[in-house]
Amino acid sequence: MSRINVLIVGAGPSGLAAAIRIKQKLNREKRSESVVVVDKAPKLGYHSLSGAIFEAQCLDELVPGWRTLSDPFVKSMVKVECDEMYYLGRGNAIKIPGFATPRPMRHQGDYAVSLGRMVDWLGKIALGEGVEIYSGFAAEKVFFDGDAVKGVRLVDLGLNREGVPKSNFLAGEELEADVTVFSDGSRGVVSTQWTERFGQGMNPQVYSVGIKQLIKLPPDNAFGANRAIHTLGFPNRADVFGGGFMYSMGENIAAVGMILGLDWRYQDLNPQQELEIFKSHPFVAGLLKGGQVVSSGVKTIPEGGYYALPKLFTDGALLIGDAAGFVNMEKIKGIHYAIRSGMCAADAICEAVIKNDFSKAALARYQKNLEEENIIRELYHARNFRQVFKFGIYLGAPLSNIQTWLPFKLGMEKDYRAMRPGAKLQRKESAGMDKAQFIGLSGAAHREDERAHIRILNPALCLECTQKYGNPCACFCPGEVYRMKGVELILSPSNCMHDGSCQVKCPYQNILWTPPEGGEGPRFKQM
Amino acid sequence: MDFIVLVKQVPDITNIPDEAWDKEKGTLRRGVLDTVLNPLDLHALTLACRIKEKDADKNSRMICLSMGPPQAKEVLIDAMSRGADEAILLTDRAFSGADTVATAYSLALAIKKIEKEILKKRDYIIVSGMQSVDGDTAQVPAQIAEALEIEHIAYAQSFSFEPGLVVKRIGSRGVEAIAPKTYPVLITCTACTEPLYRSFHRSRAANQKLILEWNARSVGADPDRIGLKGSRTQVYRIFSPSEERHKQCVFPESPEKLADLMGIRYKQGPSVEAPSEATSYKLAGKTPSYQGEVWVYAEQEQGVVNQVSLELISEAVKLAASLNEKVGAVLAGHNVENLAAQLISQGADKVYLAEHALLEDFLPIPYKKAVSGLVKKYRPQIMLFGATPLGRELAPRIAYSSDAGLTADCTRLEIENFQKGGTQLVGILKQTRPALGGNIMATIMTKDSRTQMATVRPGVLKALKPDPGRTGEIISFIPEINEGDIRARILSRECVHSHTSIADADIIVSGGRGLGSKAKYDRYVRPLAEALKGFLEGRIEVGASRMAVEEGFIGRDHQVGQTGQTVKPRLYIAAAISGAVQHISGMQNSDIVVAINKDPHARIFNYADYGIVGDLEAVIPKMIEAVNRGKRKS
Repeated sequence: MSRINVLIVGAGPSGLAAAIRIKQKLNREKRSESVVVVDKAPKLGYHSLSGAIFEAQCLDELVPGWRTLSDPFVKSMVKVECDEMYYLGRGNAIKIPGFATPRPMRHQGDYAVSLGRMVDWLGKIALGEGVEIYSGFAAEKVFFDGDAVKGVRLVDLGLNREGVPKSNFLAGEELEADVTVFSDGSRGVVSTQWTERFGQGMNPQVYSVGIKQLIKLPPDNAFGANRAIHTLGFPNRADVFGGGFMYSMGENIAAVGMILGLDWRYQDLNPQQELEIFKSHPFVAGLLKGGQVVSSGVKTIPEGGYYALPKLFTDGALLIGDAAGFVNMEKIKGIHYAIRSGMCAADAICEAVIKNDFSKAALARYQKNLEEENIIRELYHARNFRQVFKFGIYLGAPLSNIQTWLPFKLGMEKDYRAMRPGAKLQRKESAGMDKAQFIGLSGAAHREDERAHIRILNPALCLECTQKYGNPCACFCPGEVYRMKGVELILSPSNCMHDGSCQVKCPYQNILWTPPEGGEGPRFKQM
Repeated sequence: MDFIVLVKQVPDITNIPDEAWDKEKGTLRRGVLDTVLNPLDLHALTLACRIKEKDADKNSRMICLSMGPPQAKEVLIDAMSRGADEAILLTDRAFSGADTVATAYSLALAIKKIEKEILKKRDYIIVSGMQSVDGDTAQVPAQIAEALEIEHIAYAQSFSFEPGLVVKRIGSRGVEAIAPKTYPVLITCTACTEPLYRSFHRSRAANQKLILEWNARSVGADPDRIGLKGSRTQVYRIFSPSEERHKQCVFPESPEKLADLMGIRYKQGPSVEAPSEATSYKLAGKTPSYQGEVWVYAEQEQGVVNQVSLELISEAVKLAASLNEKVGAVLAGHNVENLAAQLISQGADKVYLAEHALLEDFLPIPYKKAVSGLVKKYRPQIMLFGATPLGRELAPRIAYSSDAGLTADCTRLEIENFQKGGTQLVGILKQTRPALGGNIMATIMTKDSRTQMATVRPGVLKALKPDPGRTGEIISFIPEINEGDIRARILSRECVHSHTSIADADIIVSGGRGLGSKAKYDRYVRPLAEALKGFLEGRIEVGASRMAVEEGFIGRDHQVGQTGQTVKPRLYIAAAISGAVQHISGMQNSDIVVAINKDPHARIFNYADYGIVGDLEAVIPKMIEAVNRGKRKS
């Protein structure tokens, strides 16, 4: 079998954009180096989830002429014509006038897209260019040789609950490559090992959880077409970062969701329930009247921005997309950076392939490309945005207008430190859908007798946590993976939706998440 | 030894999104579903690889073969990424519309071509899964074996080399160890392995491999025997199972009343809509489209007639009455004439007796010859078989060799007239069965054949009370069988009580997380199950939701649900189970569902026939009392 020249771990928008561009360039040069993409989802797009409002210009260079294609994905992109922002009070909604909305938060001209469908589309283009894509393979460990990356090792397959190999045991295969691209997204398995080795950026990375549903509305619905709504306020308390969103996705489907900063202090905050409460607000409920939930899912978003960017390249590897943290919180956008950073990486890699030099020095070209493409500059503009909100929404919102002029870096703590003993939301009763149904609609599935892919490092800490914080994992995990039963923490790993909230939020950082067997996890449909 | 593994691309029924349902037509849009390699074929591939490993023949080749549209290449690549070396896709528009007979014919031709041009020898094994999740018939492999005139070993579970190959399989009398005497042989297997995983490096290699593509012409297919033209059955309606079973939950006023209603409903028998429909059909002077008698294959083992045959004879009596025809029972074996009387009492007008020393033990080829010979001689218009392990091996081969249409696992049989466009048929057998894992129902009719065959599962029909005063005719038939038809040796037989699977239970009492503890599960769920013994007939098992299993209330092999077992009992009692989607999908085809839950909004009530909103600690003891009272009365 021929050697893997370029290995791309994670078939999201960044990994696929990189793959496409590398092959485009190599094909032009009549070169045949191999570009191999691996992804843990059973099918491309099944682990992809985003709101999403997308700045589409980045596609012009990657897929020239895309606007005229009759591809189902392109046809599904919905141009935003009505872009609104609301402040939700207890029972009312106040529209925030256009002039009061900061420019980065205006989305006219952008497209509402399904990231899952985009990934599926990019995958087909990549295959057409000669990229090899293998889904259902989960990378578990990075091969480091000093600071150099040699490749990755896949997860062991065929262990039973006790960790004993069964008759079909397949030891994790080793994938070696000249250069490895880490594009495994927010809280990705291999990119987490990258930051463990090379350290975080100037600030630690912080996250939000995005919890989302697709709702099928009746034909003459109140929400309308080509509409994008963002909300602040209800149901969030002033000290919870985030808000709600509703986007027309075409064919009478609305994407509805919330983004919640994972630095909330409340031990009983349950994002899945918060979404149901959001949907119960009279303004929202009115727009969604007669609708039926057809899909649900959850994912984390890296929000540390400029100051949280870690080292981006090393001998034999580089970091792109959400894995690096290229998300602009002012715009709440990251997909176009994912694609553009993938393209920057591709250009650097092609030069490295031609020179047969994959050293740090050669791959430094990647950082230069990011700078030349203004990606770093745009992130720099938003560099203190997320941090001002740690002062709460009433101070944060006005401060966010001047954050870019602050001549110093605002620090940020890791999210898990925010939990406060005794801090509770105390929501009255459960609303709407329960977690079991939510999980069912995400399609999450794992082999039942598989060795648990989640481990509690020190069970004794869970008992301490019961006293101090009331085991918030039982609330914040959207998959209901964690449950206290008496003095024991019971795990239901087969519900896991691979979002990573638990690793971010556990106040004791007591959870070790490793990838389950490839091809498992959620099956997000067109999210 | 070489291997040909048959694989099929099927819809992924474990993950049916809402938009896949066409609510107006009541059918599934298959195009919206994900596709996967048929799960049992994956077991077949693993079994073949294990045999190959043990055989340790360095030059052994493993070829996987699939018949399907161009997209089916995906499963061939999947199979190669797990263990197969080579792949062939049999694809042609002309194959579309093929039923099992036409499919088996086509695949058999492809196998012959592989034997002639690639393997160039007869020392090979064909392996396949017992059935596919979409068609669910288990007919194609048996019919391929018939087309190739080779032995078929069904329900394989394991193997050994002693030193020749010996296969352990589930037979009707227990687990048998069978050694094939001639090759090639076709083996179909159950879910008997830990399936091989896809290997990354094998996947890369598979990407580079050339998949041969053959079409109808390249395998020398007769155009009249493929596709819709070559089919002997045709689906003429697909509908949703909820049409068959309207679930409107009735809430009796007390647990005692619930126990009574439950018992009455259960004893009524499996839900057969309008049971009088079959007898209400009248020919009314019209000329029927089919001629001949209505036959039943009377399955016998060791001098005992299988209960299902008695059920089928009762059904045949109804069907024959509508058609003014006689009922015939086919009895094959050695020294079995004494069983004829029982068949006549049950309702047979004639018993066709095929006796031969070589029919002492059941093997598909000699039995097929005996029965098929009778069918070809007397040409009944209808023939029914029990969908037992034996029936599932035998009926497809008989259908193929006697050019009859066969529909497996029917839940309903009726005589009716049919009209569509210019076609008018009178007095045909309408065959209804579930498909796609029970997610849809299909109505099928036979076409281009003189005999309509169907298999029916035990317990679906009711055996009427026999009338010992009845008289009938015994017609003897000497089948043309010789030693050469015995292609396998049965080495041993163990009447093993197979590891109890809740999947075959008639009644399941199931508990959920709401019970709170293992102690409560043992205190309420188990006693209710115990109490039902002797009150209601059938095998009773206990079950649990996944949450309950995870909390340690009971072992994993009692788990009901999407990732546990799928069950179809006649009675399913769900105590403290909320009714999450993954659980429902595991028991939704239960005949009667009873739900007990504290929460009036629990989803389970949407799938229940009877329910009680209340604390099971109060409800279940009262139900047990009522059941015990009922037992004392009768």
